Amino acid sequence: MIKFYKKARKAFCGLKPHFFLFGPIFLMFVLCSATSLGQQGGITVSGTVKGTNNETLPGVSVSLKGTTTGTTTDVKGVFTLKVPNSQGSLVFSYLGYTTLEMPISGRKMLSVTLKEEQKNLNEVVVIGYGTVKKRDLTGSVASFKGDDLTQVPAANVMESLQGKVPGADITRSSGQAGAGVSITLRGNRSILGSNSPLYIVDGVIYYGNIADIDQNEIASVDVLKDASSTAIYGSRGANGVIIITTKRGAAGKTEVDANSYNGVSQASMYPKVATGPEMVALRREAYRASGKWTSPANDNLVFSPYELTAIANGLYTNWQDLVLHRGSQEDHQVGVSSGSEKTKMYTSLDYYRENGLFKNDNLTRYSGRINLDHTVSDKLKIGMQAQIVYSSQNVRTDPLNQANKINPIGEAFNPDGSIVMYPTQASAINPLADEQPGVWADNVKGNRTFAAAYAELTPIKGLSIRSNLSANLTNSRTGIYAGSFTITRNGGVPRANYNTSNGTDLLWENIVNYHKQIGQHTFDLTGIASYQDRSNESGSMQGDNQLLSSQLFYNLSAATQGVAVATGYTKQDIVSGAGRINYSYQGKYLLTLTGRSDGSSKLAEGHKWTFFPSAAAAWRLSEEDFIKKIKPINDLKLRASYGVAGNDPYDAYATQSLLTNVPFSYGETPAQGYTFNPTIGNRDLAWERSTTLDIGVDFALLNSRISGTVDVYSTHTNDLLLPRGLPPSDGILKTNQNIGQTANKGIELSISSVNIKSSNFSWNTSVTFTKNVEKITSLVNAGVNDIGNGWFVGYPVQVFYDYQKIGIWQTSEAAEAAKYGQIPGTIKVKDQNGDGKIDATNDRTVLGTPRPKWSGGLSNTVKYKNLDFSIYIYARIGQMINANSLNFSDNQGLQGNTWASNLDYWTPENPTNAYPRPNSNGGMQYVSTLAYTDGSYARIRDISLGYTLPQKLTGNVFKRLRVYVSGKNLFTWSKLKNYDPERGGSENFPMTKLALAGINATF
Amino acid sequence: MKKNFKYIIGMGLVTIMATSCKKTLTEYNPGGSTAEAVYTTPAGFETLVNAAYSYQRWWYGKEEGYSLSEMGTDIWTSASGDVYPDLNKYINLQGSDGAVKQMWQQLYAAVNLCNTGINRIGNAGYPAATRTTREAELRFLRAFYYWHIVETWGGVHFTTTETTSIITTANKTPVETFYKQIFDDLQFAVANLPTTTSDYGRVTKYAAEAFLSRMYLTRGMNQQASNAAMDVIKKGGYVLQPNYADLWLMSNLQNKEVIYAVNYSANLSLDDLKDNILYPFGHARGGNNGHLEFIMKYDDQPGMLRDIANGRPFNRYMPTLFLLNLYNEADDARYDGSFKNAWFANNTATLPAGIKLGDTAVITSKLTIPTATKATKKYRIYDRASCYKADGTTLDNIHCVQLSKFMDPTRPDVNQQISARDVFVIRLAEMYLNAAEAQMNLGHLDSAATLVNVVRTRAAKPGHTVQMQVTPAQINLDFILDERAREFAGEQIRWFDLKRTNKLVERVKADNPDAAPNIQSYHTVRPISQDQIDAVTNRNEFKQNPGYQ
Repeated sequence: MIKFYKKARKAFCGLKPHFFLFGPIFLMFVLCSATSLGQQGGITVSGTVKGTNNETLPGVSVSLKGTTTGTTTDVKGVFTLKVPNSQGSLVFSYLGYTTLEMPISGRKMLSVTLKEEQKNLNEVVVIGYGTVKKRDLTGSVASFKGDDLTQVPAANVMESLQGKVPGADITRSSGQAGAGVSITLRGNRSILGSNSPLYIVDGVIYYGNIADIDQNEIASVDVLKDASSTAIYGSRGANGVIIITTKRGAAGKTEVDANSYNGVSQASMYPKVATGPEMVALRREAYRASGKWTSPANDNLVFSPYELTAIANGLYTNWQDLVLHRGSQEDHQVGVSSGSEKTKMYTSLDYYRENGLFKNDNLTRYSGRINLDHTVSDKLKIGMQAQIVYSSQNVRTDPLNQANKINPIGEAFNPDGSIVMYPTQASAINPLADEQPGVWADNVKGNRTFAAAYAELTPIKGLSIRSNLSANLTNSRTGIYAGSFTITRNGGVPRANYNTSNGTDLLWENIVNYHKQIGQHTFDLTGIASYQDRSNESGSMQGDNQLLSSQLFYNLSAATQGVAVATGYTKQDIVSGAGRINYSYQGKYLLTLTGRSDGSSKLAEGHKWTFFPSAAAAWRLSEEDFIKKIKPINDLKLRASYGVAGNDPYDAYATQSLLTNVPFSYGETPAQGYTFNPTIGNRDLAWERSTTLDIGVDFALLNSRISGTVDVYSTHTNDLLLPRGLPPSDGILKTNQNIGQTANKGIELSISSVNIKSSNFSWNTSVTFTKNVEKITSLVNAGVNDIGNGWFVGYPVQVFYDYQKIGIWQTSEAAEAAKYGQIPGTIKVKDQNGDGKIDATNDRTVLGTPRPKWSGGLSNTVKYKNLDFSIYIYARIGQMINANSLNFSDNQGLQGNTWASNLDYWTPENPTNAYPRPNSNGGMQYVSTLAYTDGSYARIRDISLGYTLPQKLTGNVFKRLRVYVSGKNLFTWSKLKNYDPERGGSENFPMTKLALAGINATF
Repeated sequence: MKKNFKYIIGMGLVTIMATSCKKTLTEYNPGGSTAEAVYTTPAGFETLVNAAYSYQRWWYGKEEGYSLSEMGTDIWTSASGDVYPDLNKYINLQGSDGAVKQMWQQLYAAVNLCNTGINRIGNAGYPAATRTTREAELRFLRAFYYWHIVETWGGVHFTTTETTSIITTANKTPVETFYKQIFDDLQFAVANLPTTTSDYGRVTKYAAEAFLSRMYLTRGMNQQASNAAMDVIKKGGYVLQPNYADLWLMSNLQNKEVIYAVNYSANLSLDDLKDNILYPFGHARGGNNGHLEFIMKYDDQPGMLRDIANGRPFNRYMPTLFLLNLYNEADDARYDGSFKNAWFANNTATLPAGIKLGDTAVITSKLTIPTATKATKKYRIYDRASCYKADGTTLDNIHCVQLSKFMDPTRPDVNQQISARDVFVIRLAEMYLNAAEAQMNLGHLDSAATLVNVVRTRAAKPGHTVQMQVTPAQINLDFILDERAREFAGEQIRWFDLKRTNKLVERVKADNPDAAPNIQSYHTVRPISQDQIDAVTNRNEFKQNPGYQ
């Protein structure tokens, strides 16, 4: 996959002069051929193009240098071209081969041999604290540049890589404005520690929202997966490392890039709830089941007078329609790259705006970046990169939760157009309540300053000493005002909150690199010393019942009750030293040895330090003579690595036993209390360690038309940081201990193929496949499950553990049902141990897991002349979700509406096995078993069509101007016909599909 | 080459040394607080004592507490909203029950804090007198919590030491050991507590003695039980409220009949609702929730809408027919003083024909109203026949007679779940009935009747005192239990009363037809919380209570 992208991109890059410059001219030439042909005199040149193995090459692009004149070779590799005279040169270009320029020099017959290109293998891949050529890579690294990153415009660069990184499970968390993505690489290892990969931005550890870095500013993303690649990051590399490199300036003419898109979004798939008439039928059935309704004559016992009037007049409300709207998304970015031989600069400004599907659910973000590099002398280089981000997000309490539960019988609005605060005379507040002017505000303002400066000294050849100092300063303010009649306050007194958070994240790293070649032996030595200090201060204020709603959260002194304040502080430090040796013999045998020592403030005395070693070796078989003989093989490399990475607890102070405050009073006199925190500190807390074995193959076949990578790996995590439940009889509930083990095994595959390649038409396909099996192998007591926490040996960290529904008790089974205390129409669950009764201990079982069995992507890119088209399909198969929409929680039919529309529920006349019979007496058991379902899906993640305007039209203004339209998530295949399974079960903040149009311009 | 290597290694060492000083790796946590820092000053130790009281709020006035102390008895059954029908009707009752889990956790957390305080009080820096009082309070609280534990679960884990490190085992200790400690602690408390306090909610000498009388009665120490109860009656200065209904007025919370109460505040920020700032480990609902639990669903009825006075209907529990039958409402003011039977129209939008605002809109009745009579009424009637089947099982568990003792019309808004109503844990009427039961057990039926009649005289409607009197011949254990039901219905004591008198299974089978088919002899203790069973490492010793899975 990686190879393919590199190759494909290289091919495009190689083609660019033809395609983007000559292409339009060529087009013009075609258009004008009727006239131009007749005017041309000149000569005809012909010939045959062959490869180094004497095979003929069809489809080779042949053009006269500096002109629009060109052709391609036929199936026998033969070309014929008319040229004005015998001066000038012909340019031969062909995918996977080095472009050749040959002077005509008066000849009419040319014999041309093209050499296979190895350039992509010399491309540079970013690894921790350095770079290597792709050919010398020993670890498992997926690398993305250019089109890979920007083809799918997204709020978050990782979203545009969904399905493209083998081994990565990337899902968007919701459809809320500014919602993040969740990423795990090669499954989940840790329970208490983090499972998120480490982000490195321009060499600096980055904590925070990666969406703050605009995708257009990014030059490359490299994903490090195996232990050898990540070991240089020691403790923080256990979950993989994602290295983001932003664009930097280049010497030469100033280049300006402008990128802009606008799009509209709507809920991708969303379940309808029962309509008014459906609700009426269901309620009647619920009361029929309990013996209180036999015919509409009893309706007055079942429905309130208000409802009876509404039913009589057909007054129903579709609440979803009232709260769900169209959203929008737009991004506008300008980047300027410039520089002289000594000073290079890249700067970028970005504006991003997203409106969610609800009113007042939106995000606005402005960011600016400047990257500067300056060569002071041939021995000293200095530079800096700085990013400033300001964002403002308006948060909405998801109104769908309310809209999906509220009674559809009745009306939402009064005759004067105002909303009915409590529709249907009931107690559920109107889902539109928060949209009323002045009652609701929840605004999050965030600022981030992320700046790093470096100085790099090269005192002698091959030696560089670099010092990086970086600061990631964040501050955010969340202000909330909730008036009396809002969803959260529901008639209570108004409440205002004001919360602030200030984070200071400092990192100082010193890196020494030494490169030395002795004969055929090449050494690269790296030494690192690193100190990181992260601290955070926070403040929270809360007050109730202020007089003026117009003051929002700006005058908490106006609160007349419930005033509460809190401040907090956390600090965590890591000190590290690391070293690495890269050794290569003849470029054929490669070896990497890495070691890192990490000390963490978050661990107990005596357990703070640990050492993470790793080793990796690679053998470039294609350099061996016996492989060189095999013509179809262009590149073949075997890799193996073994190493240890680690994890410390996510939160600070897990070793300390602390007190927690309790409000109390005697009479009305306040009496502050302090009691023990339910979690007791562990004075022996130590590192969690993950050992990974990775074996991989990189290959390129058939003139590098097919290339790919396969990795198999096995990770064992020991001394798991486990939030262990203690016997509550201690008076304490939990501690954090190094107990238990997890294992992740998997296979990753990426293959890309160049199906068709000619000067006018190209078609590339790439496939990725990921399968990871995640298992807990041991817990507190070997072989014993921790049911309380939902952890089961032999299963992934997250599972669904419940009774197993096997149907609905039918009328004919009444006697059997009675043995279980059930009646016909109720849920029948499996008696797992067959003891004739259903109990929580013996009859619940692991039903499934939200982890997919496999996931994969299939992408196709077609270019025809100036048109480009791509379609990308992503599939995530085998995961279970707990879909709220399938639930039946208010099974009494009393008032709420939690049923799906068109629900197949049991009645004596409809003996279904799908849903139980509603019953107004309640007491229904096992309702939770209804909602577990297969969440597999495949979707067209992205489909794009672009057109690059001919130079003729854009003239001297643009170097390149492309317009495109794109659709995201437009089609989804799933067993759930009306729910987007990527959302994972929740009905809040539905996933969106997005249609957008954009422009890329280079000046 | 060699020189270069030296150079590199030297540089590396310098940079490593420059950054890796040991001090940077110590945990710095200025905002945190430890037991050593807080509990070693008088002001700090006060916070421990305050917190030790606060755990009572997890049981008293909470749904979990009602389900464990009143439900599963002869006088209540599940209404439509019951969250714990397993506790109420013994259907599939297991250690996974949420109320069992929560109370197991909180009661042991309370015991641990009491143990901590009792063992550390010498380092608090108190003057001697304060030290004795605070120790007596903590020992009362420990006894109080251990009583809830031992009666609910039987001979389970017992300790008097503070948990300072990770302990993964638990013990099974005989019930006698619990009671030995309970008596030790309470006798110390009674001997050392002041007779009054200006801090409403703190335990006093007579509160401790009143609780001690309950303990003596529980253990069959009848003479001691009687003595303790009589001592409280004579010396405590408590007075029965003249009107039973007045006990439940929000304006009369701190009345003279209350011996011991769990305090809730009208300042909601002093209550126990979970809140990220105020109380990160608080209760999900907070405050006194008694007003929510028993209310029937009136707000969908013609002419009615939900308002503060009528309350927020959670509709969790309803009375058994047996409870309703216990009252002779013609003479006994406790029926009207305990139950709500009429709702008055408050919603113009849905007024039925012929009914004005303020007119009766809904009636519930323990009697069967003839259909002909019903037909003449414009308001809705839910009577005995519509609520209960002939065999006494529930027919309509949504609309029925509701307990009104805990209603709170002073809540600031209609959906507010927190009530500032204090929970009466012990009131003077219990002392009379405790003493009466002890006297009866000692064979003194005359004294027993005299004491019972004190309570019944107060309960009598004006002019019906004579009809309310009972004779010594009428006194027996069942009568005492019936009387306690009439007096204390809903007051979080019923399950303990039935268990104490060994009548739980018998009475549930006889009087609660919804639960009768399910109750078993092993139900006299509740299942141990499953997370306890899952977490202990000595599983062969620490097992689930018999009968439970």
